[in-house]
Amino acid sequence: MHASDIATTLPIVDRHTPALKAAGLIAAADAGGLIVANSQGEPVGVVASVDILRLLLPNYLRDDMSLAAVVDEKGSEEMWTTAANRTLGELIDDDAVRMPDLVAVDADATIVEIAAQMADARVRVVLVRGPRGTAPRFVTLPAVMDAIVRFATQSGAGA
Amino acid sequence: MTIQIVLALAVFGAAYVFIATEKVNRVTVALVGAALMVVIGATDDKEAFFSEESGIDWNVIFLLLGMMIIVGILQQTGMFEFLAIWAAKRAKGRPFVIMVMLIVITAVLSAFLDNVTTVLLIAPVTLLICDRLGTSPIPFLIVEIMASNIGGTATLIGDPPNIIIASRSGLTFNDFAANLAPIVALLLVVFVGLAWLMFRKQLHYNPERVERVMALNEKEAIRNPRLLVISLVVLTLVLAGFILHSAIHLEPSLVALLGAGLLMLLARLELRKVFADVEWETLVFFAGLFIMVGSLVNLGIIGFLGETVTEAVGDNYFGAAVVLLFGSAVFSGIIDNIPYVATMAPLTNDLVNAGGAAAQPLWWALALGADLGGNATAIGASANVVVLGIAKRNGHPISFWQFTKYGLIVTGVTVTLSLPYLYLRYFAG
Repeated sequence: MHASDIATTLPIVDRHTPALKAAGLIAAADAGGLIVANSQGEPVGVVASVDILRLLLPNYLRDDMSLAAVVDEKGSEEMWTTAANRTLGELIDDDAVRMPDLVAVDADATIVEIAAQMADARVRVVLVRGPRGTAPRFVTLPAVMDAIVRFATQSGAGA
Repeated sequence: MTIQIVLALAVFGAAYVFIATEKVNRVTVALVGAALMVVIGATDDKEAFFSEESGIDWNVIFLLLGMMIIVGILQQTGMFEFLAIWAAKRAKGRPFVIMVMLIVITAVLSAFLDNVTTVLLIAPVTLLICDRLGTSPIPFLIVEIMASNIGGTATLIGDPPNIIIASRSGLTFNDFAANLAPIVALLLVVFVGLAWLMFRKQLHYNPERVERVMALNEKEAIRNPRLLVISLVVLTLVLAGFILHSAIHLEPSLVALLGAGLLMLLARLELRKVFADVEWETLVFFAGLFIMVGSLVNLGIIGFLGETVTEAVGDNYFGAAVVLLFGSAVFSGIIDNIPYVATMAPLTNDLVNAGGAAAQPLWWALALGADLGGNATAIGASANVVVLGIAKRNGHPISFWQFTKYGLIVTGVTVTLSLPYLYLRYFAG
């Protein structure tokens, strides 16, 4: 089994994507992160879901978490409306946020190669290199785990 | 003038330029400057580490360390947030009343805690309150910076320049409180009036938004009531230790360290959390700075300058106080007041030693000028830079000139008012 066999397409966002749209994509796909593209539309990095959650919160609550407890239910609901004005660009420019570069593997990379790359870079998704002009495809951590479990079960290790 | 003195002055001057322009991190500048002083033979290990006159002032370093640990634990209690929200609710959402209460809270806290910690804790809760009120937080943040710099002037531990002055002069916590707190209290009253004149048109009362402030529950801010009680008890003991200096004969640095140790013991927090709020960079910056200034002392430069200034001053100590007050305010507005006071303290010490009791008020002129001068520009003090960063991150950028136009007014008024205070209290008659 190779990278091309388990590769899939994923939603791609850029610095102009509204924070709420990014949140919707994560909620719909139960994703651990989103692929970020540069101004040419090429995938360049991965932004973690929890960092997008940070983007939805007012900055002052991130500076002082204890303030979150003093806001009542109505006030809490009103806070999300301010998140509508924010874009992923703010997150990408935030020095406190680590956006790892996208790790790329060849289409014929084996599962071991992909697993080693993911473990080394501590990422949940890798880009599968493909011909220029084609839609980018990715291998996700669950797909790799699934492949490993299937191999192990077939060879009797998981029995 | 020997080549060694020329080189030492060049290193010192270049370091000042780099610190003032912020082209290079100030800690790097201080360490490289200290290293170069060693290379040119202006200091050595014995002088740098063990000399009271020309080495690292460990009393300053350990007083800062002890207070940083105590404040780091105290800030985890939620007390500051509680006070600010409580004040906003007591003010019933009226913006200027809230502003006055935040000025008082910030100034009082700054007198006992370091200014940066105070504004770091007050700024987020101010943003929340203004968000609930639907008003711009910019006037509130600006007055908090200024209240912090004014309030910090009142005590020995309120502002790092005062800690340096105390260590070099031998003046006690009570000396600072007796000589600076009265004028600071007066300046705060005047500052409230200035705040009204400067910002009244920007403060809008919106009755519909008031209920959103009243709905905030300040009690929820107190995360750990046990820790709050312990922290306040230890802080009280530490302050008592400072006040009773003449009876217990413990330097403020030891009192702060003993307090920090006791609080760590009682708080039972992870060490990682306790030390997370210690500004190690600041402590290293101080160490590098002391070595650089100490090198000038070793080479006799400070002594020569001291003699020259002493001769020039003669017995006109009021004239010297005027120059020190206004000169310090101008310098502190342009460069960080810490290196300025670290350089001026040995010089002032020479003047005071030569003049005796009549020259003692020069310390207060230096403290008032350096501390209040920090309000003059957006880069005049660390608290200014920190709050402007918070404001920008929260979508309310305050430009250099937006701050400085108010800063110059407040500094001009507060420093000018300090002059008649110095005259009437120490020189009249």
